[in-house]
Amino acid sequence: MNKVLKFALKLLGKLLLVALGFFVVTFTVYFFNLDMKLTAAIEPFLLKHYDRIERDTHL
Amino acid sequence: MAKEIGKDRLGDFYKDGGKVRKRREWRGVEDTLYDYSRWLTIMMTLGKFVMKPRNVKAMFRYRWMANYLAVPMMVDRHTQGLRGEYLRICHTEQDLIINDVAQLLDSLFRGDRRIGNDTEFSKKVVLVDENEMTAVMMGFPTLKSLSRETPSTYVSVLLNQHAAEHYIDVAQEFGLAGDVCPMPEAEAGVSIDDDAPVLGACAIQCNTTCDGSLLGNGVISRRLELEDGIPVFQLAAPLRHREEDVQDYAAQEIRNAIAFIEKHTGEKWDWEHYFECAKRVNYATKCRQEWLEMNRTPYPQVFGSNLALYTETNYMAICGRIPAFEEADRKISKLAQQAYAKKKMAAKEYRHRAIIWGVQSHYYMDFLVWLLNCWGIVPLTDMLSLVSTRVLAEEDTPENRETAIYDMAWLTENMIMRNRTHGGYKVLLNELWEFTQQFNADMVILWEHMSCKALTGMHGMFEDRARELGIHLVWVSHDLFDPRIISRQGVHDQINNYMRTVMREEPIDPSLEVLHDEESW
Amino acid sequence: MKDLKHLIYFENLLLEANNELIRQAQKDGKVCVAYTCENTPEPLLNLPGAFSARLRAPRTGSMEVATYYLTSFLCEYSRALLERAIEGGYNFADCIITPDGCSMMNRCIENMELLKAMGKDKPNFFYEYMEIPMKGDDNGLNLYVVQCRNHILKPLAEHYGIDTSDAAIRQAVAEHNRVCELIRAIGEFRKGEHPAITGYEFHVITLATYACPKYLLIDKLEETLEELKTREPDKVFPYRARVEVVGSEVDDLDFIKLVEDSGAYVCADRFCYGSLPGRDPIALTDDEDALTQVCRQYMLRGECPRYMDMPKMVGRREYVAKVAEEYGADGVIYEQMKFCDPWAYEKMLGSHILREEFGYPVLAVDRPYSIATSGQMRTRVQAFVESMEIKKIQKEGVANG
Repeated sequence: MNKVLKFALKLLGKLLLVALGFFVVTFTVYFFNLDMKLTAAIEPFLLKHYDRIERDTHL
Repeated sequence: MAKEIGKDRLGDFYKDGGKVRKRREWRGVEDTLYDYSRWLTIMMTLGKFVMKPRNVKAMFRYRWMANYLAVPMMVDRHTQGLRGEYLRICHTEQDLIINDVAQLLDSLFRGDRRIGNDTEFSKKVVLVDENEMTAVMMGFPTLKSLSRETPSTYVSVLLNQHAAEHYIDVAQEFGLAGDVCPMPEAEAGVSIDDDAPVLGACAIQCNTTCDGSLLGNGVISRRLELEDGIPVFQLAAPLRHREEDVQDYAAQEIRNAIAFIEKHTGEKWDWEHYFECAKRVNYATKCRQEWLEMNRTPYPQVFGSNLALYTETNYMAICGRIPAFEEADRKISKLAQQAYAKKKMAAKEYRHRAIIWGVQSHYYMDFLVWLLNCWGIVPLTDMLSLVSTRVLAEEDTPENRETAIYDMAWLTENMIMRNRTHGGYKVLLNELWEFTQQFNADMVILWEHMSCKALTGMHGMFEDRARELGIHLVWVSHDLFDPRIISRQGVHDQINNYMRTVMREEPIDPSLEVLHDEESW
Repeated sequence: MKDLKHLIYFENLLLEANNELIRQAQKDGKVCVAYTCENTPEPLLNLPGAFSARLRAPRTGSMEVATYYLTSFLCEYSRALLERAIEGGYNFADCIITPDGCSMMNRCIENMELLKAMGKDKPNFFYEYMEIPMKGDDNGLNLYVVQCRNHILKPLAEHYGIDTSDAAIRQAVAEHNRVCELIRAIGEFRKGEHPAITGYEFHVITLATYACPKYLLIDKLEETLEELKTREPDKVFPYRARVEVVGSEVDDLDFIKLVEDSGAYVCADRFCYGSLPGRDPIALTDDEDALTQVCRQYMLRGECPRYMDMPKMVGRREYVAKVAEEYGADGVIYEQMKFCDPWAYEKMLGSHILREEFGYPVLAVDRPYSIATSGQMRTRVQAFVESMEIKKIQKEGVANG
């Protein structure tokens, strides 16, 4: 019983740790706007890519 | 970092010349965690979207898809400074719109001949215009009504102020005059630049808002029908929509459009479904009227750019067809009543009560948030939210089926924007002053979309009437989709100048007075 | 070529909106119906006891007051009309009827109404706005008929006691057709290698038929037609190319003059206020009411870009090509008045399609309401003429091996 409880507590602890880690990481990303800073850095490369695509441009 | 409304200097979040803001707001533990949870949900929506290989493929094919990198920032711009119920109302509106647009994109790429090429799915797709009332789709539950222009230009500019510039330039390279409205111009540019998904059993175009949109459709349908082989029906909605003697024509256009869809998709009009949608439209109308009623009091609750954007989506693009919007209406009403009971305010000080009139600058949709936070001007309602209040027939009877045709025609005639910019001067000019009275407004912020001829054609009369009535009329000129003509700061300057020189006031939040976000999304 | 006997007479009629023939017709007790758009069926404004005058603002100078009301973003035609109305220049009119053909024209007339700029001392004066079809189909026709009945016939009968019976409409159509046949016959002289009439002269004569009471012009038109039959054309064609002018409203004599002075003979006029298709006679049969037939023919022949259905859109460009072929045009000039939305799009599409699908050299230009002596426009037309000449030489070179 003890073993099961121990395992459960350990698992819970691990889950809490993972959840906490997830929260810390995502909240940091959220609060410091890192998601937008990353996508802002990606955008110029995408725009260059679009310029290279061959298009059937006509009316 | 403050819990209380109005404590933060919102301008400090901006970095001169930066694309994005320095960080997100601290709104107190509860509200910050709430905002964070909504951010996570948005990230999950985006994550789910990019899990599908076809959507990634589309990301690398269509230039306008790059704008969707900025989705979370759009939400941040609209939630600036908000707390409590206001924050929740805004998220309810914004998050649902985001979800709806994600589904629209996913469906477009599924059927797109270049991307997913699901031909069976494509046979069930009816393409519709951007800014088009989708009433004619209310009785086709098995069909998908998709707009290519909504994600490629309309939403794109909401996300990124510079989104339409490339397409405007393309259209002008092909000889289109630079003085036409940049919205249909950009839509035509997308078509010319071969940057629109190709799918659908047929398409319903409409002379939505203006001469430009009517004519821009001609560019699009040429490619769509004559090259891609997708039959196009042009739904002609009368311009003089308040006149009795145009209603039969409008109704017949609806009948013809339905017959066209039936012919090209093999589906039959479903009255039962239509009346279900009609009930939801009526519910949305009832809620909107309640919100507007609240806005006549000293404690307005659902207002500003969120109201405009949500109304536009719910009223036209959804038109009762998606039950989730009914849920959102209910939730928003509940939150608004809660806040109203507590006499809550969205900013620390309300100095002026304003009606926002004219056609809003699309590249600066969150301007109304700025107006409230910087100068304490409460945008009680905007022209786009003052749409039809007609109660649609809800019960399926032989007489109501005939009435329903006229109801759909009425909705189509009364699409957002055109219900005021067309139909004679009474709806644009005279009714404005009636609204200022009803809402106890002391100010009118008049968006002057410079290439909207129907609007600018009343410029002098607006001035004359405002002078006669002693109402502060503040012009805010812009070019709808093109911030190169008048920048966001150019928009600010027009308000700043009026507030300082005419009203002799100081800003509530001076950090917002000058924001150099020309490079920003 | 020897001068046309009545050219100066026609030119003088165009110097004022309130010209001598309008004054004479009003003295005859007729009601002056002002209008501004080609989508208003003219014969219905010319019922017995009434006559139509399409509003122009000749010799327009400053438009500052109108620009205050309409801003500088509206086309100069609408601004010039409003300015003239505010100045009191249209007080001769007894009513005005206008369709919502384009937003700018609608706003122009609405401002006139709000500013009470017309109808001074005329208690029966009225403003009427019409919805007109955007597609050439049965539903559009029904609308057209209802609108003409409610916004033209009914107010004319109620305010001025005008007879709006079927017989009266037929009589008006007959008079209208007589003018159309004369203009058509005069226009035929533009077709030959050595035309007996210049594009400018033809434009002046055609324009007069829009701006003056028609019945007072018939004798002069007949005389001009007779004169043309014996008029000796220049031995050497004094122009370097033949062009068809296509586009938005042109009531400015100087524009066609400028094109011709730059070396391009205007052999066909497919623009608003032109004769193609504006001076097509209306064929009536006895098995249907005249009103419906008039409306149908106006709707089906209408070349206004506001018609948005595919057959009309495709038909517009085919019509330009057909006219170019019929009148022997070497090239096409697409013109639009600056700030005109409908023609901005049509000019873009039409110029590409005529060039790419029909093989015509095309010049696309925008212009102000009054062009006067624009050096820029002259240079553009001259360059276009040269390019057509070069193409011709190249073609001939290829043909000769």
